[in-house]
Amino acid sequence: MLKYIVKRLALAVVILLGVSLIIYFLIRLMPVDFIQDKINAINQGGATVTEETVQAMYAMYGLGDNSFGGILKGYFTWLGALARFDLGTSFVYGIPVSQVIVEHMGVSFAVALIATIFEFMLAIPLGITAATHQYSLRDYLVTVLVMIGISLPSFFFGQMLKDVLALKLGWFPPSGLVDATASYTGLALLGDYVRHMFIPILTIVILSVGARMRMTRTNMLEVLNSDYIRTARAKGLKESVVINKHAFRNTLIPLVTSLAGLLPTLFSGAIITEQVFDLPGIGNIALDAMNRGDIPFIMGYNMFLALLSVIGVLLADLMYAVVDPRVKLE
Amino acid sequence: MEERKTPAVESTAESELPLDRQVRLMSPTRMVVRRFFRSKLSLVGLAMVVGLFLFSFVGPLLYTQWGEIQLDESGKTEYAVSETTYTVDGVEYTVRQTTEKSLKDNFLAPPSAEHILGTDNEGYDIFVRLMYGGRISLTVSFIAVFVITVLGVLLGGVAGYFGGWVDNLIMRVCDVLICLPGVPILLIISTLLDASDIDAKYRIYLLMIYLTLFSWPGTARLVRGQILSLREQEYMVAAEAMGYSTSRKIFKHLVPNVMPQLIVQMTLSLGSMILYEATLSYLNLGVKAPYAAWGTMINIISTNQDILQNHLNVWVPAGICIVIAVLGFNFVGDGLRDALDPKARR
Repeated sequence: MLKYIVKRLALAVVILLGVSLIIYFLIRLMPVDFIQDKINAINQGGATVTEETVQAMYAMYGLGDNSFGGILKGYFTWLGALARFDLGTSFVYGIPVSQVIVEHMGVSFAVALIATIFEFMLAIPLGITAATHQYSLRDYLVTVLVMIGISLPSFFFGQMLKDVLALKLGWFPPSGLVDATASYTGLALLGDYVRHMFIPILTIVILSVGARMRMTRTNMLEVLNSDYIRTARAKGLKESVVINKHAFRNTLIPLVTSLAGLLPTLFSGAIITEQVFDLPGIGNIALDAMNRGDIPFIMGYNMFLALLSVIGVLLADLMYAVVDPRVKLE
Repeated sequence: MEERKTPAVESTAESELPLDRQVRLMSPTRMVVRRFFRSKLSLVGLAMVVGLFLFSFVGPLLYTQWGEIQLDESGKTEYAVSETTYTVDGVEYTVRQTTEKSLKDNFLAPPSAEHILGTDNEGYDIFVRLMYGGRISLTVSFIAVFVITVLGVLLGGVAGYFGGWVDNLIMRVCDVLICLPGVPILLIISTLLDASDIDAKYRIYLLMIYLTLFSWPGTARLVRGQILSLREQEYMVAAEAMGYSTSRKIFKHLVPNVMPQLIVQMTLSLGSMILYEATLSYLNLGVKAPYAAWGTMINIISTNQDILQNHLNVWVPAGICIVIAVLGFNFVGDGLRDALDPKARR
């Protein structure tokens, strides 16, 4: 087991190096005068980018020196900075990128976590009924409904919910995280957060429940066709015991494994949903950064996401080995 | 339940009719087709996809009243009403002033015979722009899926067939690419495209080509996995014994056997590519005004609350088109998967 973990960790490091190489390559492709244009635009827009910040960024990425040695040196300087969790200074905010990410991660995390919990709570029962009633009306109905959910573009569906639930019916506030006109504290503030997050979470749940439900259904069907289920039925066990005790537990294996792969989605922020509802999450900030040319932030954000994905893949591999004793480690 | 009917040898001796008249032979392809058409969902999906294709590609040829970037310049009169309330000696007086303004373009017109779905905030005909938007979405997605499949089959095939360090290298590249974030990377690439002044018309094509460079690993893994298991089959030993060339073995004997899974994967990824394209256009990274794309047509509501609330005809049809396209491809892909599954009992 230890050997397996060490091997996976080594692989994760290799992947991370590869990812960083690609992201570094992308910033090298950016012309320096283009970056200067962007900085000028930000300066005109009100914020001030100090010469210090700009020089620090050039030094960090080793821009300006286009010889092979220069590129190589730039890459390793940047990598060294990354190892110290130094992602540079944001042009727009004037504070370290890592600090901007940490500040806005909370909102994204809360939305994603609550959405994921509801997603599992809905997807598992739906997947199981669909599988146990395969090819029945219930199966078709559930399948078609979740397929529609999968096919909806998040921006379209989000805007539709916003139009109907928030603007037309007025049940929920249309955008933002807190009511700017009122100053709530304690429980009232929490209640305000919940009201603001309701539609974004609803959007995410409806869009993502399908994939998880179909996964549950496929797993359940596979398990239901296995020999030990036939044995359990032959023993004369009640159908509810067969499904809930014998089949369900094995259905959980892939679901638990997929939990580890969810790590990136929990922290990365839903760009589109946050944009539609104007939530101050990290995804919305990233989109704004892109529009305003905050290059250090976009780069830092991408590297942060890549790191999360690598950890997610690593955890999924380990989880798979831990949860399912049949998996042999090589 | 159908199975390939293997004709019994004795029966020929007994009857006069030749063998092929007695038993209905069915090729595996025909069985797949039959299974596919038996499922209602796949039929619905196929109808949706074909319908959209006709709408987007044949539609503009038949309905030529308006063009993609042709403004309706028939003019429009706008009335602005302003109210001012004065209080004189405790009595309220309201003065209502109406100003008439003549505008050049007939924008935000309601649906009429002239404009089936009305016009948008610029004065373009929405119905016609839906057709042109469909052209872009469908073309771009097809190109992207084609490139992804070619890259995936080539690299996955090579990795699976040769194994060893080649396999290791290609699979590690896949691992790296899978860990790259999708839309955020496209945000960077889009900034790069801004830096290099690309014609608005071709921007989305370039962006999608970049997207394919990051999206082939899924297909490559699928192909590699299949080839690893197929490589051990007897018919491959036979191919080896016949002294076939490597490329012939890979592309004539292995790849065709991967085709079923590949077709399913391609159909399903068509749906996701349409969503990708729509999202990029919605974020104003893809197709930019004045050209039409479904995502671009919805983009307006992110800044204009009035259209979001009061002019549903401007943005809802485009969203419905996206849903129909994606849902259609998903239904067809699902139907194909069930039809191609040899274990299927129905």
